[in-house]
Order: sequence, then structure tokens, then C-alpha cells
Amino acid sequence: MFKPYTLQSRLCIAGALVLMLALPLITSDPYIMHVMVLVMIFGIFASAWNLVTGFAGLKTFGHHAFFGLGAYGSALLSMNLAISPWITLWLGGLIAAGAGFFIGTPILRIRSMAHVAIVTLGFAEIVRICIANFSSVTRGEMGLWGIPQFEGFTLPFAGPITFSPADKVSFYYLSLVLLLLMLGVIVCLMRSKTGLAMLAMRDGEDAAESLGVNLTRMKLMVFGLSAFIVGIAGAFYAHYLSILTPASVVGLDLMISIIAMVLVGGLGTFTGPLVGALVLTVLIEAMRDLESYRMLGYGLLIVLIVMYLPKGLVTLRERCFPRPQE
Amino acid sequence: MNLAIFLEQILNGLITGSMYALIGSGIALVYGTMKVLNLAHGELYMLGGYFTFFLTVQFGLPPYISIPLAVAIAFALGMLIEKLTIEYLIVRENWAFTTIAATLGLSIVLQNAALLIFGERFNTVPYYVQGVMAIGDIRLPWQRVLIFVVALAVIGLFTWLLKYTRLGWSIRATAQDRDAAQVVGIPVRRVYMICFGLAAALGALAAAMLAPINAISPWAGIPVLLKGFVVVVLGGLGSFPGAIAAGLLLGVVEAIGVQLTSSEWRDVISFTLMIAVIWWRPWGLFGKK
Amino acid sequence: MATDSAKPMLDVQNVNVIYGNYQVLWDVSMQAHAGQVMAVLGPNGSGKSTILKAIMGLTPVRSGKVFLNGEDITNRPAHEMVARGMSMVLERRRLFTGMTVYENVMLGAYHHSVQKYAKDRLEWVESLFPIIAERRDQIAGKMSGGEQQMVAIARALMSKPQLLLMDEPYLGLTPRIVQQIADIIRKVNAEGIAVIFNEQNVKLSFGISSHGYLLESGRVMLSGTGDEMMNSDVIRRVYLGE
Repeated sequence: MFKPYTLQSRLCIAGALVLMLALPLITSDPYIMHVMVLVMIFGIFASAWNLVTGFAGLKTFGHHAFFGLGAYGSALLSMNLAISPWITLWLGGLIAAGAGFFIGTPILRIRSMAHVAIVTLGFAEIVRICIANFSSVTRGEMGLWGIPQFEGFTLPFAGPITFSPADKVSFYYLSLVLLLLMLGVIVCLMRSKTGLAMLAMRDGEDAAESLGVNLTRMKLMVFGLSAFIVGIAGAFYAHYLSILTPASVVGLDLMISIIAMVLVGGLGTFTGPLVGALVLTVLIEAMRDLESYRMLGYGLLIVLIVMYLPKGLVTLRERCFPRPQE
Repeated sequence: MNLAIFLEQILNGLITGSMYALIGSGIALVYGTMKVLNLAHGELYMLGGYFTFFLTVQFGLPPYISIPLAVAIAFALGMLIEKLTIEYLIVRENWAFTTIAATLGLSIVLQNAALLIFGERFNTVPYYVQGVMAIGDIRLPWQRVLIFVVALAVIGLFTWLLKYTRLGWSIRATAQDRDAAQVVGIPVRRVYMICFGLAAALGALAAAMLAPINAISPWAGIPVLLKGFVVVVLGGLGSFPGAIAAGLLLGVVEAIGVQLTSSEWRDVISFTLMIAVIWWRPWGLFGKK
Repeated sequence: MATDSAKPMLDVQNVNVIYGNYQVLWDVSMQAHAGQVMAVLGPNGSGKSTILKAIMGLTPVRSGKVFLNGEDITNRPAHEMVARGMSMVLERRRLFTGMTVYENVMLGAYHHSVQKYAKDRLEWVESLFPIIAERRDQIAGKMSGGEQQMVAIARALMSKPQLLLMDEPYLGLTPRIVQQIADIIRKVNAEGIAVIFNEQNVKLSFGISSHGYLLESGRVMLSGTGDEMMNSDVIRRVYLGE
């Protein structure tokens, strides 16, 4: 992981990028576009959760709090203060990051994984109940609707771009831009000295301490960054669907889906969360008729993957075609 | 607010707290012995409630038969779950995370299986005892008094079990030093299985006692699990006596907190308390560092 | 003697142990006979703790065999060993520190095969270690290192083993306590119990053991009687600095 790119991996990345860019030219079917937008939103969320859980080794189970805070924060700001969603998107991320720093501070004092799991789950529950209870602002369990869409603009050479439920292609490209941006941030971070120290820290804290890195500050920074990215994903989700309920964005079911995606793809790998998001989202859509079995399936997947394929799908390739040792 | 109502609320808090104690002590027992955080504990509670409901309402068994039977089924189910999942994971290198993830997955499986099999309906069981106990101005339904008495009896039974029986000794020895326990001849894996079963039984008993008051539904497990977590954090994760004390304390704190605010803030009060405790005393309120 | 050496009580044959990607033991073979005191010598990281754990079943053996009284016990779970007449004192005592001395010692007779003798055994270990009776209700974790070592040995003796494994019995103890523990090992042996212990200090070891094996980097370098070992070139040069 994070070795210098080989020619093969460069070609793979370029191929995937071209395919993603060209997909709307092949088909602009609104349903396919919609599924792909969801894949990318979940891809961002999954990658950010993987950043703390897989790379930094902080096993948290409450990242849906940040998704919900980003979604509700951005939606409420744009609805009540009439700020453009283009700006509230980032404000939503900042709100989530602030919450991330707030809850990250006590977590980092604890080494016990069980405590971290409990606190993060409890925090997410607090966020959910607060959103449900402050119904004068959030409309409670009824949820928000009529959340403003992104304003259209004119792109040189391409003409006017509009964002409306009827035209999913512009949402597709916007989510692709966001996905690439967030992945870029994660890759830069992981290839930096900080990122290397972080991997060292995951594999044994003494090693990182000898590198002269302030562990606590670094973990807190990574936790905040991860919360920020998840918050952005949540904010985009809010303006994309323009409907929110506490259960849909701060429910434990959402977190379970993300955990299933990352575990299926491969925890602690770069492509794993993306592969997982793609595979599971498409699989779920393909089996719409079995909607009532969806969460049952996610649960079973988590148990089976953890027991029989603990490193996820992306390591299957290496297992089937082992690379020659250098 | 007059004194009688205030005292009544405190007593109600203690009664609720005794149930928190049963739920939390199951989580503490498993964590203390195996270092496994069981995220499926809430679903074992939920299933215990369903077992009670079916045995009492569908099959018409009297509570003094249906409740022990439901608890016994939960005990067996807990052991089966441990045997099928945790036993394989706990020997692996990254067991701390994989056991959390697996029990989380399991919790979703059980919850949704219950939804598919039992449906969305909220089920209740008739009161096991009728009438209201009155002492001066304080009035408590006998059902609530029964809950408290049963909880105290079971807590007493478990304390005795841990302190004086062969099984209890093997549980405490395994909790303190797994290798040393094996060396003196304790079959550690069997102890793990029994602990998981006992925790499930404690959860199921709480569900059975609460079934007449709190409706049983497929979703009943999640809030119970989270409340159980608050209890074990307050009591010091893995401490059985800590969980008992913390459960009772939490019940009273919530009762007072709800008096001062309103009932929809009950959970926020307890989760905030939990985060504050993790901040200041991560090893719990009672124990030493 | 000739018939005894033909049938060793403990027979370890070509044992290999691997942790992850790291091989700790390479084809280790050793024999111990009834009633003997045997020392396993070697520096830190030589695998002398691992071989005891492998014999006891606390560490999986990748290949090779371990026989106790002619029975194959390779990779049998540790908790069965008590019934077969073998018990172990772990490195750094490893008492159940939150439990009382009495509870610790009685847990030594936990296994159902020895449970019924618990009362007699308790009297026996109390006669060997008067401290057990004196401190009966003290919490084990609050005792000194030497006292804890005695409780740990007493616990291991409760099953009245034929063979007692002791992992670094002298570790972290003062010289005075080390002498006491050495006396105890002699006393235990005088009861007819074979003892295998490991230790870095060669002189200390052959004060009480009749036989020894020297391990280095997971391989047996040398074996023989105490005198043979003390007179060997390797021991004299490397370990005694002569």
C-alpha cells in the first residue's frame, strides 16, 4: 500500500477515471445516475471511516453522527439563513469537524477499543435524539423537506449547468468532483510523513513515537479531518435528495451499511471502501424486491466477512494471483 | 413538588435502575471475562422478551414457569452464539475489533430476523401481579415491587455464585489470567461459552420482568444495549459489582433528571453522563485506576 | 538406570514452533526422567520459555511430537495436562491477584480428576509452605514477589503432579529469595516430583539440577549431566567467562 505507483496501478487508476468521466455519455438514464451518485456519497463516507478505523487504528462506530450533523447543518443554514448551498456544504463539513474534535478529545485519552466503540455510539445517539427533540428547528421525526438545490451556473465551453431532480448528470459530475477531491486529500495525507507515521502507529505505537511524531495531536487531526469529510458527504446528500429525517441520516442502519461496505471491500486498504460502496449499493439496487431483507443481508455479510474473509474483497486478487516477492 | 411524589420517583428510579443493573452486569460479565464487547446483548434481551411473550401469552403458561423457561432458552442461545462466532474470532490477532464488528453484525441479523418472523407489532404481557402497594402517600404497583425483588434476588444469587461456587471461581480466575487458569486445569473456552450464556440469561430475565411495562418489538434491543453501555462505563468496564451499583445509580439520576427536564431527554442525560465519566474517570466511578 | 533411560517420562521429539513469520524453535528434542530435576538453559530469546509452553500446550506446536508417559500430548489443550500429572508455574508467578491466597491455592485442585483430594493436598502444601496457612485470606496481589512465587508453586502442587514445569522461577527475585526457592525445588523433588525449570544463570541452575539442555536461537546446542555441561568448552567460555 502507498508504495510508488507501478505502471499497472497507474493504468488502472486512469482507466477507472476515464470510465467514471465517460459514463454519462454512455447512458444518462436518471436511475443509473442516481445509483452512481449514491455510490459516490457512500464511497466518500466509507473512505473517511476507513481513514480513522483502517489507517489510524481508531475503531469508531459513531461516524453517522457526523453525516447527520453535516446534512442537518447545511440544510438548516441554507433554509433559514438563505445562504447558498455551495457555501453551506463546507459549513456543514466544519460543523461535523467541530463535533469530531469535541468527541475526539476524550476518545484519544483512552486506549481501550471497547470504550472508544461505546463513546462513539453514545455520541451518535445523543446527536440523533437532539435532532429529533429540537423539533421547533428541525421538525423532529417528520424531517426536513424542500431543502434548496445547488444553484446552476454557466461553464465556459459547456453552457449552463443546472441542478434539478430531473437532471441527474450534473449531480453525478459534482459528486465525482467531491469524491476525487476527498480521495485526493486522503491520499496526500497518507503519502506524507504524517501518514506514514500513522500507519506505523497503527502497527505498534512505539515505532511512531520514535519517529518523533506527536501521536495525540495527529490522531485528533485525522479524526477531525475524517469528520469533516463525512460532514461534506452528508451535506451533499441533503441538498441532493432535499429530504432528511433523523433516522435516515443519523440512524445506526446507515453506519452499519458503511461498516459492511468497508469490511466487504477491505478494511485498511485504499480501494476497499470504494469497491465495497460500489458492490453493495449496486447489489442492493439490483435486489430491490428483497428490500425487507436488506439489513439482514448487511448483518450476515459483516459476520461472514469478519469470520471468513477478514481482509475483504480487494485482497482476493492478491490471494488468487500472488505478486512475486521483491 | 411534595415529598411523597419525590420519594416515589426515587423509588421508581431504583426499580428501573435494578433492571439497568441486570442488563449492565451481563455486558460486564462478558467483557470482564473475555474482553469482548458484545454489541448483540440488546438483541438477546429482545429475544428474551419474545420468548416470555410467546410462552406466557400464546402458550398460556403461568409466569413462574414461562419466565425461567425463557431465561433458559436465552442461556442456550447465548452459548450457541458464542460457540459459532466468538470462539473462532477470539484466538485471532485482531480479536478486539473483529469481535466488536461480528457482534454488531449479529445484532443486525437478530433484529431483522425478529422483524421478519415476529412482525412489527409491539407486544405486551399482562401484569404478573395486580394491585398497588401503598405506604403512607407513596403508591407503587406490586408489579414494580416484584421487579425490584427479583432483581435483588438474582444479583444476590450471582454474587454468591461468583464467590463460592466452582463455576464462579473458574469465571473469576479466567477473568484475571487466562493462561494461569488454563494451567490449573480450567477449560477456558467452556468458561467463555457459559459466561456468554449467563449474560444472555441476565438480559432475558430483565426483558421478562419488564415485558408487562415495556412493549417488546424487534427494535427493543438497541436502546437497552446503549443504556447497558452507560452502566458499564459508569461502573468500570468489566466490573460486575460496579455494574450493579452503577445501574441503581443511573436509575436514580435519570429519575431526578427527568423530573427537572422532561422524559424525552432521559437518554441524553445518561449518555452525557457517560461521556463525562469517560472524560474524567475512564476506569469508572467506583474502582481505582 | 538403564531401563529408566529407555523410557523417559517426557519425550520431546523434533518440535518446531513458529510465531507469525518467525520460527522460535527448530527441531528441539529433549527427554526428562521420573524424579529428575532438569534445567533448560539459554539466553533471552533462545526459546527456553517457549519449549515449556509448547510442552504444556499453551503454544501451538507446528511439527514434532511431545509424549508424556508414552502418551502423545502434542497440541492437547493445557487444561487437560493436570489430569495427566503435569502442572506448571508460569513466568512472573501469574497468580489470580484479585483472589485470596486460599482461593488461589484451591484453584490448583480445580480439575475434576484431582478435586476430591483437595483437602489432603492442602494439608500437604501447607506443610511445605507454612505461609499458605498463615496468610490464608490475604489478597494474593498484595504479597511480595517471593511470597507470590511460593503461592504459585503451592498452587501448581495441589494437583500432586509427577512433573512440574517452572518458567523462570528466579526472575525478578532477590538473591536471598532465590536461595529459598532453590531449597523449595529440592524439597519438591524430594517428594518424588520431577522438575523442569529454565534459567539464564548456569551456576545457579546446576546447584540443583542433575541434567540440563542448552538452547540458543531456538536450537539445542548441548545437553548432558550437570558435570558434563559445566566442564564443556561452550559453557566455560561463553557462560562462565573462563
